[in-house]
Amino acid sequence: MLRLPRFEVATPKTVGEAIARLAEAGPSAMVIAGGTDLLPNLKHELFTPELVVSLSAIEALRGVRVEDDGTLAIGAMTTLAEVAASELVQKHAPVLAQAASLVAGPQLRTMGTLGGNVLLDTRCQWYNQTYFWREALGFCMKKDGTKCHVVEGGKKCVAAASNDSAPALMTLGSLLEFEGPSGRRTQAIDDFWLADGIYNKKVAHAELLTEIRIPPTGPGHRGAYGKLRERGSIDFPLLGVAARVDVVAERITRADVVVTALAAQPKRIARVADVLVGVAARGEELDRAIEAVAASAAKQCNPLANIPGDHEWRKAMVPVFVRRTLRAAVDGNGPVHGD
Amino acid sequence: MSARDRHGKEAPWGEFGVVGKPHRKIDGLAKATGAAVYADDIVLPGMLHAKTLRSPHAHARIRSIDTSAALALPGVIAVLTGPELPIKYGVIPWTPDENALAVDKVRFIGDPIAAVAALDEDTANAALKKIRVEYEPLHAYLDPRESLTRHDPKIHEDKKDGNISKHVLLEFGAVDAEIAGSDVIVEDEYSFHGTTHAPIEPHCAVATYSADGVLTVWSATQITHYVHRALASVLELPPHRIRVIQPCLGGAFGGKSDPFSLEFCVAKLAMKTGRPVKMLYTREEVFYCHRGRHPMQMRYRSGASKDGKLRGVDAKILIDGGSYSSFGLVTTYYAGQLLTGPYAFPSYRFDSTRVFTNKPPCGPKRGHGSVQPRFAFEVQLDQIAEKLALDPIEIRRTNFVGEHTTTVNGQRITSNGFLACLDQVERASAWKTRHGKLPFGRGLGVAGSMYISGTNYPVYPNKMPQAGIQLKVDRSGLVLAFTGGNDIGQGSNSVVQYIVAEELGLQLDQVRVVAADTDLCPVDLGAYSSRVTFMVGNATIDACRKLRAQIVGALAEHWKIDAKRVRLIHGEAIDLDDASHHMPVIEAFHLAEEKSDTLGSTGSYNTPELGGPYRGGTIGASPAYSFTAHVAEVSVDVETGRIRCENVWIAHDCGRALNPMLVAGQMEGSAYMGVAEALMENHDVNRFGLHSGPSLLDYRIPTSVDTPELHALIVESLDPEGPYGAKEAGEGPLHPSIPAIANAVFDAVGIRLKHLPFTPGKVLAALAERDARAKSDAVEPTLTARKR
Amino acid sequence: MGALHLKVNGDELDVAAPSHWTLLEVLRYRLGLTGSKQGCDKGDCGACTVLLDGKPVLSCLTLAAMIEHRAVTTIEGLMPAHIANGGTGADPIQDCFDRCGALQCGFCQSGMMLSARALLDRVEQPTPEQVREALSGNLCRCTGYTQIFQAIELALADRAGTKPAPRAWEAPRDTEAAPRQA
Repeated sequence: MLRLPRFEVATPKTVGEAIARLAEAGPSAMVIAGGTDLLPNLKHELFTPELVVSLSAIEALRGVRVEDDGTLAIGAMTTLAEVAASELVQKHAPVLAQAASLVAGPQLRTMGTLGGNVLLDTRCQWYNQTYFWREALGFCMKKDGTKCHVVEGGKKCVAAASNDSAPALMTLGSLLEFEGPSGRRTQAIDDFWLADGIYNKKVAHAELLTEIRIPPTGPGHRGAYGKLRERGSIDFPLLGVAARVDVVAERITRADVVVTALAAQPKRIARVADVLVGVAARGEELDRAIEAVAASAAKQCNPLANIPGDHEWRKAMVPVFVRRTLRAAVDGNGPVHGD
Repeated sequence: MSARDRHGKEAPWGEFGVVGKPHRKIDGLAKATGAAVYADDIVLPGMLHAKTLRSPHAHARIRSIDTSAALALPGVIAVLTGPELPIKYGVIPWTPDENALAVDKVRFIGDPIAAVAALDEDTANAALKKIRVEYEPLHAYLDPRESLTRHDPKIHEDKKDGNISKHVLLEFGAVDAEIAGSDVIVEDEYSFHGTTHAPIEPHCAVATYSADGVLTVWSATQITHYVHRALASVLELPPHRIRVIQPCLGGAFGGKSDPFSLEFCVAKLAMKTGRPVKMLYTREEVFYCHRGRHPMQMRYRSGASKDGKLRGVDAKILIDGGSYSSFGLVTTYYAGQLLTGPYAFPSYRFDSTRVFTNKPPCGPKRGHGSVQPRFAFEVQLDQIAEKLALDPIEIRRTNFVGEHTTTVNGQRITSNGFLACLDQVERASAWKTRHGKLPFGRGLGVAGSMYISGTNYPVYPNKMPQAGIQLKVDRSGLVLAFTGGNDIGQGSNSVVQYIVAEELGLQLDQVRVVAADTDLCPVDLGAYSSRVTFMVGNATIDACRKLRAQIVGALAEHWKIDAKRVRLIHGEAIDLDDASHHMPVIEAFHLAEEKSDTLGSTGSYNTPELGGPYRGGTIGASPAYSFTAHVAEVSVDVETGRIRCENVWIAHDCGRALNPMLVAGQMEGSAYMGVAEALMENHDVNRFGLHSGPSLLDYRIPTSVDTPELHALIVESLDPEGPYGAKEAGEGPLHPSIPAIANAVFDAVGIRLKHLPFTPGKVLAALAERDARAKSDAVEPTLTARKR
Repeated sequence: MGALHLKVNGDELDVAAPSHWTLLEVLRYRLGLTGSKQGCDKGDCGACTVLLDGKPVLSCLTLAAMIEHRAVTTIEGLMPAHIANGGTGADPIQDCFDRCGALQCGFCQSGMMLSARALLDRVEQPTPEQVREALSGNLCRCTGYTQIFQAIELALADRAGTKPAPRAWEAPRDTEAAPRQA
């Protein structure tokens, strides 16, 4: 069996205790939430922590609630299955419920958490492999080596953000609540990412993501998630598209499209609102506007051969999935998947 | 074939009591409850865990290996390197070119170099990292076309013909003249990518070496007997001091039908240490073991007359063998020999060449050697039908080879239910009202095939039985059957149980089976080439009838009646003419034991002399062929290029379904695997020669939501030589899935897919090409064309 | 190496295992519960599926240390639980898998049956789509899934006191129907 490296496990009962353990142990400690991303990576010797701090016993990090002002607050340790099945999430943030429902397969959604998915490590065909395989390759710049095998002579790691929840949360204008040795901070998810495949997130050591906060979405809020993958289950996205379309009085009042699994960070498609806001929510004008957004998205996205799969096909699918996902958002019949 | 090998297709007692019914499997509940023991479930006292060091180079000479630091690590008990096991092996005795661990060269990334036995896997892994190997990298061959022409450096230095593994050229009839005189000629190129078995159980072996010098190896193998022979040869032990046992096996599909490095390593390490040793491969190592389907580049040229009758078929095939021979000699023949049914070829030539490359070795995967040519030819047959404006099912009927006949290459065909298969899929798919008439984007395609039920070519030449069985009757009323046959999940032990119960009139729970243990069981050659039901089944009937004669004789004597009046049924012995004569079969056993001797019998099977009178004529010569027809229904999304296979109707002539539930399971499992090869799976290396994704995440096998509706339609042609008329069902039904999908895509959107796998990118490219052609021909483009 | 307090198939157990061991390793190599299988090493195949508080999870990606005191059910636990609840023999899911030929090599099926058991415990009459979806994290290489679906249909029919739809192997076979020639 492919083995885990040796490490100790701590199972603190409170956030404070977890932070203290992490701070005390220093960089040789890592956090484990559901374990569905971390443990395969440990088996691949991508990380070799001495201590793994499990958040599984911290009850305070679980659950979905709506606050008085309509903010949807989701504990970071809430599982993806719980997020997908939550009536509150389905009502206030359908794009997130749909994205969560399409992460991996049933068991992995029962284990994996929303916080863990937000913090998912970037992925690359030259990186998510065993130590033996990577050594035979001569390693890569993301781990143990210096070269990039995606872009020959490349200076920057282009491993792909592969978390389905991230683009969904971005269309919702979500806020990430962190707690660390120096206190709490709130981080807008839009500004959370770095264009660096080696580590694409602004998180300090010993900082814990405690909660994901989704500002109130009005009654006209609509959203959908589109996921391209080879199989109907288990697989990571080859392309993920989150679409938001708020409709008030039959007119679009807010629109947003964020794509993922193309580059190191999720990407907001530019000028979506410019094209869609003010457009009637049905008819030819909408069709033309959606087509224009799709065409514009195609120009803005140039996926590289970072993750396994045909990157030219992934590029060709950008306008198709942007169009279909926007359409599904307007019509309220997402997700877009499997056809 | 002697008389004892033919038992007729009739029920032994007039009507079947067990055969033909959907009984449970003999080991079903053991598997269902987690009680069944697979290789990695075996734990022995004091057992060591072994791991393998593998080559990071695709092709290199080994200058030196230093294992001293590994051996010095606390917890490491032994280290093994190639020179300790210098004798080469290979499943085909003519081409031994593998070493348990590399002796002087490595030939692909993942080739085994050294093995470490330690107290636990973590220690063994740590020790591997301390082994120092100096390599001299050599040019790596990743393209089979290069191996065809470039011979320096040689991958195997002792091979005579450069980097060519095997070449076969056979010609039957005047091919060129027949094709030249044809009304229609289609010539095209097709290619088949690599795919692998991916059984869910990784390879695992455990060995002990006793103080009195007996080596016992438990291994996840489907060829216990060949592993036994290979161990004796490589370890230089007399075979009688080796015992090989196959525990419950977690899937194989041909991927466990070679002797593998781990079997020799655990054996030698057990001998070196005096302790039990286990080695369990990681999933990544299973991909390096491979022995999967050979990539093939195929050119076919076929001619037919106006009525669709084939006149000649000419094939040229380049086979990428990977780094070792494995079954490659047979593969090279099968690539040509198994195409000559279910259609009659008046003339035929095939020229197939297998070359070595520096990739994981290819071997036999379900439908060994013939799935790739079958794909190419069934697409070509559709192209001929298209040119002649014939219905694709009709052209297949037109060319039916017939039954009780001989093919152009001298293969004897006995029963042949292919026409019934075509009828069944035509009816079930509503072909007549739907083919060519469905809305744009949706289509139906058909394909046919034939496959062997074992072959008369044992991998090492000998005239002994190919299948042996032994029955032991216990005074408890239990009959134990000992078979060397390998149950790999297909249910061969269940088949033995059903036949014994049928022949001796027993309840199923009165029969148990001991299998695949070389100490306890007579030799059987193993679970490959779909030989088990046919050969082991016949051997079982043979043994049962000998035993039955003893029991019936004792009863006849006891009741003073003619033996013909005695019948064994449902655990009772009865007199057909006198109701006062009856006793439980257990008493009949006691009676027979009193009158004769300790009760038991042996049985065996050997094929008749078969095959054409030429070199290689026996390869692919089978005592019976199975036949299959599929219709696949697909929808094609012309925007994404995705093909969704929604339905496959699978009609298969299995001779007689000894258990129709198990036959249906084999048919569905085969079709599923074919669909997966067509649409999803790809076993390949990247530009560095590294496996492109050695995991079950990146090698994508279909999940429950990706698998089409599979409709099994069983056809029974009752073969004169099969056990009660049975033939194979485990491999044949894979073949037509792939071309049926290709042909359905043509029906759906008018593109011919000739290069596997059918990725969305290829579909979009083909659609674009079609549209460009359409534009220049002033035909409507794809999106609007053929709205029907 | 501290002692882990585990609750497996209703048994409260103190087990000594290294802290980096997965639940699968502890089950197989410490407790001898080898019915949970290892197929892919890292969460891609589902063969190691067990139930954690009644929900299917992958034991190969679960640290044993993370699930102390929570209820683990392995394939070995189904029959004893069924008997303890007044049943006889194997759990109906296990029995139906056997009656439908769904156990070919059987290696993936411990996980598959546990996913099925959890679905049937959660949903009274799942649709065929729900069945496919619930099993979509358990790869099977033998069956093409058809007889697995049929096994679940049979279990549902048995529970509802109805009959399942006819299966392929029940169709009347036209023996010797093979036409003699073209």
